[in-house]
Amino acid sequence: MPLTAPILTRRIPTPPWGEMKDRHLVTYDEYVKTGGYTVLEKALALKPAQIVDMVKESQLRGRGGAGFPCGLKWSFLPEPDGGRRYLTLNCDEAEPGTFKDRLLIDFDPHLVLEGLAITCWACQLDTAYFFIRGEYREQIRTVQRAIDEAYEHGIFGKQGLLNGKSDFAVECYLHRSAGAYICGEETGLIEAVEGKRGWPRVKPPFPAVAGLFQRPTVVNNVETIACLVPIVEHGPERFTQTGCASTIGGPPSFGPKLMGVSGHVARPGVYEVDLGIKLSTLVNDHCGGMRGGKAFKGAIAGGVSMGCLGPDQFDAELDFDIGRKYGVMGLGTACPTVFDEDTDMVAVARNIARFFTNESCGQCTPCREGTQWMYKLLCRIESGGATSRDLDLLLELAGSMGIMPGTTICGLADGANWAVRTIVNKYRQEFEARVKPAHVPVTVSARAVAE
Amino acid sequence: MAWTVKPSATMKIPQRDEPYLTAEMRAHFEGELIPRYEQKRGALLPILHEVQHAYGYIPHQAMEEIASLLEIAPADVLDTASFYEEYHLEPVGKYVIAVCQSIACEVCGHQAIVDHLRQKLDIEPHETTDDGKFTLLTLECLGACDGAPCALVNDDRHDHLTIEKLDEILDGLPD
Ligand SMILES: Cc1cc2nc3c(=O)[nH]c(=O)nc-3n(C[C@H](O)[C@H](O)[C@H](O)COP(=O)(O)O)c2cc1C
Ligand code: SF4
Ligand code: FES
Repeated sequence: MPLTAPILTRRIPTPPWGEMKDRHLVTYDEYVKTGGYTVLEKALALKPAQIVDMVKESQLRGRGGAGFPCGLKWSFLPEPDGGRRYLTLNCDEAEPGTFKDRLLIDFDPHLVLEGLAITCWACQLDTAYFFIRGEYREQIRTVQRAIDEAYEHGIFGKQGLLNGKSDFAVECYLHRSAGAYICGEETGLIEAVEGKRGWPRVKPPFPAVAGLFQRPTVVNNVETIACLVPIVEHGPERFTQTGCASTIGGPPSFGPKLMGVSGHVARPGVYEVDLGIKLSTLVNDHCGGMRGGKAFKGAIAGGVSMGCLGPDQFDAELDFDIGRKYGVMGLGTACPTVFDEDTDMVAVARNIARFFTNESCGQCTPCREGTQWMYKLLCRIESGGATSRDLDLLLELAGSMGIMPGTTICGLADGANWAVRTIVNKYRQEFEARVKPAHVPVTVSARAVAE
Repeated sequence: MAWTVKPSATMKIPQRDEPYLTAEMRAHFEGELIPRYEQKRGALLPILHEVQHAYGYIPHQAMEEIASLLEIAPADVLDTASFYEEYHLEPVGKYVIAVCQSIACEVCGHQAIVDHLRQKLDIEPHETTDDGKFTLLTLECLGACDGAPCALVNDDRHDHLTIEKLDEILDGLPD
């Protein structure tokens, strides 16, 4: 059953449910008047384990990129031992093409804070850090104001959640990052909260067991946390009625999804839709079609790390099956960047390779060196100075870096790998047209000549 | 690039008598920020932000003062501060113009914006004008791809930039 009304954007007018021009910041007062924080009250009447079970039943999958089942992740937490337990909310959102979490914190930050409080209750976490990227200047002010309002009204603080309705007390602090994409990776993020450079950690141990300050830690994306509110409010069954089941026998993609569309479409923006919507439907029905009526040439699947959908994949369904069905890494953040027929795909690959070169944290040699090599090779191909051997070298380098080939600590290198390989493979003719044939030296031995 | 090596071994640190961390700042850090974290070092990022807000950049002497406040080595502070792109370790212009150069902005025409700024200000990215008014930066995705091409001018984000719009914004900034 498809979405019939907005869920996450209930208070934010968003096409097709409302006009963007009618948007405004939902303050604490307005949030409460429209039913806000009653779901937290409902959650506090339940046992923490009951909420974890609800999340498992809803089959909610992480919205931050990996699509990992949220309830399963929470079940890795050890039993409370009286020591501190943390939530670090991931609002780093630095993946090029991605801007969906921004919609929630721009207009309805209390929805996120309510989800955060529910998560802290469900997982028995006493301290939450709202980790936000440094470039979100306006949003940092909005979130800080919302946290202050929540404290003023006793949601957080020593007296216990929701004005002492529960004895369980949660502190919530904003932690502003400072411009490093790698801090979106969960353990890089944890290092940044510890005041260190954002170098991802070798796993295991996983954050659930030894995360922030070596204590049990949950890392979740903003949108994942926001989904908790409708799940607890209407029950997990309702959640599983939106989105879609897998068509290839995999785990389902239930729930609504915020999809941020950018690039060559008439109306770029964030749209709340069912998981499983076709990219062509999203572009044509919601984004007003391709800009200037041009033809579709391709699209970044969901953040550049996921790779590229080719010209014949405009009808790809945007759900968690997308990786297996369409030769990309996965759904990622479900924020497609769309390219029209005039786009130079070599330039696209070069741009993305530069991104990864700039953002590699430098710990793993295949990633630090490999991203630079790929960027240089792509610059050479773009300028017409490369040979076909450079193209082969490019693919070899790309394929050798990442967690999947087992050569790096974190998934940044896999992103670089998939982005470059999918673009080169799906637009091979464009790359070949730019390179000169390799000169193959032939040596003939004297004996061969004599014979 | 986050991992570029800095010549910290041979570095001379200019010292001034007046500390960079004022009594008021110390009180705020010790009373508000540090208690938020299980270990003092956790407060490093927020403290660096506040120092940069006060001085426009993070002087090395300030790093030494922060180090003693947090009971860590000055090198630890430098290690963190130099990793994050947003922290300026040298003074920057009064207005920092940061143009997004990532994919959505590139395919929507960011190059024309950068070229116009280079000409108008007569500087290259990561340089500051002689009068100290403008610093030009190119950054990766600002998370505003629906507004491509976009840029931050200090704390204000400007979307759907055109050359005319950009001129209007820059010409409207007081000296
Ligand atoms: C290089 C890299 C960057 C990432 N950036 C983000 C990000 O900006 N925001 C986010 O929510 N998750 C990001 N992730 C995913 C996180 O590591 C983590 O899986 C996620 O925050 C978990 O939340 P979820 O289960 O709710 O999706 C990134 C992962 C990698 C490898
Ligand atoms: S894969 Fe790249 S970004 Fe990730 S830890 Fe290694 S060097 Fe750093
Ligand atoms: S690509 Fe420019 S803001 Fe995202």
